[in-house]
Amino acid sequence: MKLIKKHIPLAIVMVTGVLTLVSYYVPNKLSVNYIETLSQWENIVVAFAFLLGLISLFFSHYNKISRKADGWGYSVFVFVGFLAMVLPAYLSHGKQMTDAGLTPLGWSFKFIYNALSGTMFAVLAFYIVSTAYRSFRIKSMQAFVLFVAAFILILGKVPLGQIIWDSVLGWTGQGVSDVIEWIMQVPAVAGKRGIMIGISIGAIVTSLKIIFGIEKQYMGKD
Amino acid sequence: MIKTKVITLIAFMLFAAGSAFAAKPAPAIDGFAALDMPYDVGNAAVLRWPANPADTDDTSYVVYVSTHETGGWLEADRFAAAAKTGKDIELPFWAWNGSAAEHAVKIELNNLFGESLPSSVFQFRVTAEKNKKVIAESAVVSVMPVGNWFRLDRLNNLILLIVLIIIFFWAVSHAKRKGLFIRRIAGLDAIDEAIGRATEMGKPIFYVPGIGSMGSISTIASAFILGEVSKKVAQYDSQIKVPHYDPIVMTVCKEIVKQSYMEAGRPDSYREDINQFVSADQFSYAASVDGMISREKPAACFYMGYFMAESLLLAEVGATSGAIQIAGTDVEHQLPFFFTACDYTLIGEELYAAGAYLSKEPMLLSALKVQDFGKLIVMVSVFFGMILVVLGAKLGWTDFVQGLLHLFKGY
Repeated sequence: MKLIKKHIPLAIVMVTGVLTLVSYYVPNKLSVNYIETLSQWENIVVAFAFLLGLISLFFSHYNKISRKADGWGYSVFVFVGFLAMVLPAYLSHGKQMTDAGLTPLGWSFKFIYNALSGTMFAVLAFYIVSTAYRSFRIKSMQAFVLFVAAFILILGKVPLGQIIWDSVLGWTGQGVSDVIEWIMQVPAVAGKRGIMIGISIGAIVTSLKIIFGIEKQYMGKD
Repeated sequence: MIKTKVITLIAFMLFAAGSAFAAKPAPAIDGFAALDMPYDVGNAAVLRWPANPADTDDTSYVVYVSTHETGGWLEADRFAAAAKTGKDIELPFWAWNGSAAEHAVKIELNNLFGESLPSSVFQFRVTAEKNKKVIAESAVVSVMPVGNWFRLDRLNNLILLIVLIIIFFWAVSHAKRKGLFIRRIAGLDAIDEAIGRATEMGKPIFYVPGIGSMGSISTIASAFILGEVSKKVAQYDSQIKVPHYDPIVMTVCKEIVKQSYMEAGRPDSYREDINQFVSADQFSYAASVDGMISREKPAACFYMGYFMAESLLLAEVGATSGAIQIAGTDVEHQLPFFFTACDYTLIGEELYAAGAYLSKEPMLLSALKVQDFGKLIVMVSVFFGMILVVLGAKLGWTDFVQGLLHLFKGY
């Protein structure tokens, strides 16, 4: 049992991981074909898994409706939304546009899906404002530095800010756009690269842990 | 009679002069060679020939390719005489010996003929043109592109990997049971506090694994953390909800959570709907999880994994609902949003280390040492590299500086 539940999956992970790693250094057609095959398998698995996800979604929302759980009305919209996209897609044979114009699917996509997605994305603008307000409460030295950098950036991005900068600090000979460029190109990039180097090395070590079976929590424990 | 002879003679002379003019061949481009492009899959060729010092700004070269023995020429490339020298081929010094005194052109045959090449042998010729007139022409040469077995240009990358693998095995084989110092990570220490708070308040915990697939390292790291978090949730007999974006991640997380409940000795508390698929669309997912957080007012929210624009949409709603929030991602441009909206944030590598930190397994903790060694290698390389590059630039050692930069470049 341990062989099937533990050793064989670990061996598959190791062989697949090593082959994928090696294929990065081997440019031959064989390794290209191997990577393509893996990608195709992944797509097939994703298709089946998506079906599984859909069943899970329907099952959980159906349960909520049947039990009249709190907020069960929202669950009805899951089915309404699903039908609002799937039925037009079926009627339009998957096409969004024909010579006659928008198909029912195209209409649903443009006036339901895109509109809702756009709304969600637009909400982000308001959240950025409230987040900025929270981050501007100076509680520490680091928060003060963040505040100064953000304040200069905001100042430099609006014409009024540029006028204020030029009239107050114009004598320094440095435009606000120069200061912004320096902030973005020097301290911001330095911090970002530091994080990226840490992430890259962390990713390599995590991959090695998985490939060589040191990290196997994803399989559960003995 | 004499008149006829004179006319014939003149006609003959004119014909001979015309023939001689028409037959005058264009000067040859000597040293033209077509070679298989090294370190590729076998769908490119590289053409090399010496640069002509007499070329002017209005001289251009045209490269032709054909799959036939004769004729069937297709224009593959056209460039100014000053461009495309041996130095312009993007390969490091240990894999390519290019000079500025020669032309070197890489021809991607799959771009011209499609992915399945129509022939195994390709003919090449090059002409030099000035004012749309051919002033020189090369001989026709042929090449058979073949797939190579090793990317020599990635040797620097391979050496770094081998060094890390050696350190990795050394660290794992010397795993200590006790006494290994791991610096405290406030965000992970706060997990107990968050779960305790949820238990006291009788409210659920939301664990959001992000929108990455199972192939993303951050999602894998998130799954490890979920295992430890759900074990603690089971021990405290609290509630956890894990809304998913990816059905495969959901399937894996289901097994992990189930296993954690079993390890905690609470298999009876495990419910199938802990892990729930929500949507495979980014904003639908964000809207749905935001709705759940707003309605259920969780005591704690964990955002661990790969996040894009939905990071702020989720974290801000969580913050306004009053939940204690712990986030972790390796997407560096989403980190500022988590910093401002969450109580604790794990930065990149801390996310990867979290599984080991929480599980406290000696082997996993020892592997964290490898990350430190890796960073040490990078720091030393950056420090000495910086000094050498500055010194080389100051002393005018262009080739030395270029060579040094090649060492740290990815190919």
